[in-house]
Amino acid sequence: MSSGTDVHGAMYQHNGEEIFVIDGHVHLWDATEANIKHQGGEEFIQCFYDYHTTFTPEGRQWDIDEYRKYGADRMVEDLFGNAAADMAIFQPTYLTDFYDDGFNTTEQNAELATEHPERFVLNGTFDPRDGEEGLEYLEDLHETYDIPGVKLYTAEWRGDSKGWRLDDEDAFEFLQKCADLGIENIHPHKGPTIRPLNRDAFDVKDVDDAASSFPELNFIVEHVGLPRLDDFCWIAAQETNVYGGLAVAAPFAQNRPGKFSEIMSELLWWLGEDRILFGSDYALWNPDWLVEEVMEAELTQEHRMEYGVEWDTETKKKVMGENAAELYDIDIEAKRQAFEDDEISQQFDLEDHYTGEEPAPADD
Amino acid sequence: MSTQTSDGSAPTRATVRDRLERVTDPELDRSIVALEYVDAIEIDGDRVAVDLTLPTAWCSPAFAWMMAVDARDEIESLPAVEEARITLHEHMHETEINRGVNEDLSFADAFPDADGDVAAVRAELDDKARVARQYDAVEALLESGLDAETIADMRRRALERSDGADSATVYVRDRSFAVAVPAAPLERYLEKARETDLVSAPDDHLFRTPEGEPIDPDSFGLVHRRGRLAQVNMSSQGGICDGLREAREGRLEETADD
Repeated sequence: MSSGTDVHGAMYQHNGEEIFVIDGHVHLWDATEANIKHQGGEEFIQCFYDYHTTFTPEGRQWDIDEYRKYGADRMVEDLFGNAAADMAIFQPTYLTDFYDDGFNTTEQNAELATEHPERFVLNGTFDPRDGEEGLEYLEDLHETYDIPGVKLYTAEWRGDSKGWRLDDEDAFEFLQKCADLGIENIHPHKGPTIRPLNRDAFDVKDVDDAASSFPELNFIVEHVGLPRLDDFCWIAAQETNVYGGLAVAAPFAQNRPGKFSEIMSELLWWLGEDRILFGSDYALWNPDWLVEEVMEAELTQEHRMEYGVEWDTETKKKVMGENAAELYDIDIEAKRQAFEDDEISQQFDLEDHYTGEEPAPADD
Repeated sequence: MSTQTSDGSAPTRATVRDRLERVTDPELDRSIVALEYVDAIEIDGDRVAVDLTLPTAWCSPAFAWMMAVDARDEIESLPAVEEARITLHEHMHETEINRGVNEDLSFADAFPDADGDVAAVRAELDDKARVARQYDAVEALLESGLDAETIADMRRRALERSDGADSATVYVRDRSFAVAVPAAPLERYLEKARETDLVSAPDDHLFRTPEGEPIDPDSFGLVHRRGRLAQVNMSSQGGICDGLREAREGRLEETADD
C-alpha cells in the first residue's frame, strides 16, 4: 500500500489525493527532575514513557532523558520536518501540584505557538476548583492569546481533591464563561487510567449532561474515552456536539492493526466520519511515523462487512484535518497557499511540496 | 473438572488452578489464569500461597484489590484449604493490597484515602461484562434461526440446560417449538446475569438493555450493537494492558541481560 503514499509531500499524498493534516493533540512538556516537586510527577512521566514504548516501533523509541524534555526546536522538526503534519493544536496539561512550573502549560506552549501562529492553534484550560480566580485566569487567557478552546483534565490532583466533574455546578459556571467568551472547543481528557490519577475522575458520563446543557459548545473527548469507549460512543450517538479525539487509539494502527480496525469501525458506526479528530498526543507518540501508520491502516474485510463503514480517502481527509478545521475555523485552502513560503516551509525546504501540485479541488 | 478431595487431605495444584480460572480481570472480563497474571501456586498442607503480577504497576488499585480478594475467596472456598495467602508483586500499592487481603480488611480500611467504595466499581464492571456476554449469547440464538422479536421477549424459563452438554434447548412460541443452541455462550451469559441479579425468576426477561431493562423489539438491533461495543471496549483495553505488559517484560529482560 505504501506505493499510494508520498510522505515527502507537505500535503500528505494518499492515492493521489492531498490530505491536509491537523494534529489535534500536541504538548510541549517539561518533566525534568528539576521541575518535579511531587512523586506523582515522576510517576506520571514514567507512565507516559511506558505508553510511548509500548506503542512506538522499536527503532523510533526515545530514551527517557530526551522524553522528559525535548524542546521547541525538536518539536517543530518532529511535527513539520518531514511534513507529517501541516498544523497542530496545543492541549495544555498543567499538573502544577506535581511540577514546579507546570508540566505543559498554556504559557509554556505559547512560546512556540506565538512564534509560528500560522502553524499552531493554542488552547487554554480551566479548573473549576480555582473559583473566582480561575474565571479571571480564563478571561486572561482569552485576552492574551484569544484561545479558541480549552483542554480539561478532570482527574488532576489539587490539594486534597483527586479530581472534578464536568457536570457539577462550578464546572457549568466555567463552561458558561467559555460560551460567553466564544471559546467553543472543550477537550476533556478521558483516557486510560494514568498513575497516579484516580480512575473515577476519568469517568466519561459527566460529558453527557455538559454537552446537552451547552449545545453551542463542542466537546471533543480525548482518547475516545478508552477504557470507556462504550460509554463514550453511546453518549456521542445521542449528543451531536460530542466528538472523539483519536489520541491513544491511533497508535494501535502500528502494532495492533486488527484492534485499530475494530475501534475505528465502532467510531465510524456510532459517530460518523464528521466527528472524529486525529491527534498524536505528541510526544506520547510522534506524528513523524504515526500519521503514515494511521493513513495506511485498513479496516479488515470482516469489519467493513459487519459495520458497513469505510476508512477511505474521503474519510481520512475529514478525520486527519477537515473536521478539526471545521471546529477551529481553519481555511485549509488559504493555509495551503500561505504555507508555500512560510518560515517552516523555508526551514525544511517544503516550498515545492506546497506549490508543486496542481491546485487542490475546493473542499465542499 | 475439579479433582478436589473433601476428606481434609491437601488440595492439588489443579484444584487451585480451577478455582483461579473463575477469577476475572474485572475490566477485561477474562480469567486471570488466561491472562497469565498468576506467577506461582505453592501448596503446603492446607495452606495455599499464590503470587500475582498485573500488566502494569499502576493498574487500578480497585481492580487489583478485586482480583486479589476474589482469588483468596475462591481458594478458601475449597474445603481442603484453611488459608490462602495472596501476594501481589510489582504494583505501586502492593503493600496496602497484600496487607488488606491477607488480614481480611475492607477496601476502605486498606485504602483510607480512596473516595467511594469498591462495590460500586465492581457492579459497574459486572454490568459491562453482562452486556458483552449477552452479545455472544444473542449471536448464538440468531445463528440458530431465532428472530429479534422472539429473543427480545424470551424468558428465563425458555432455556433448558443439562450439565455437561454442549447444547441447550430453547423453547419458543408457548413451548410449541424447541431449538437446540450452543450451551457455552448462554452459560457464560447467565453466570454474569445472575451475578447482577437481573435474571433469576423463571418469568424474568432473559436479555436486557445495558441499563437492565427488558428489550423493546424495535430497539433490538441497537441493543445488540451496544453489546458488540462493550466487547470492543474490553478487548481494546486488553490490547493496551497486553502491550504494557510486553513492554514491562521486555524491560525486565533487558535489565537481566545487563
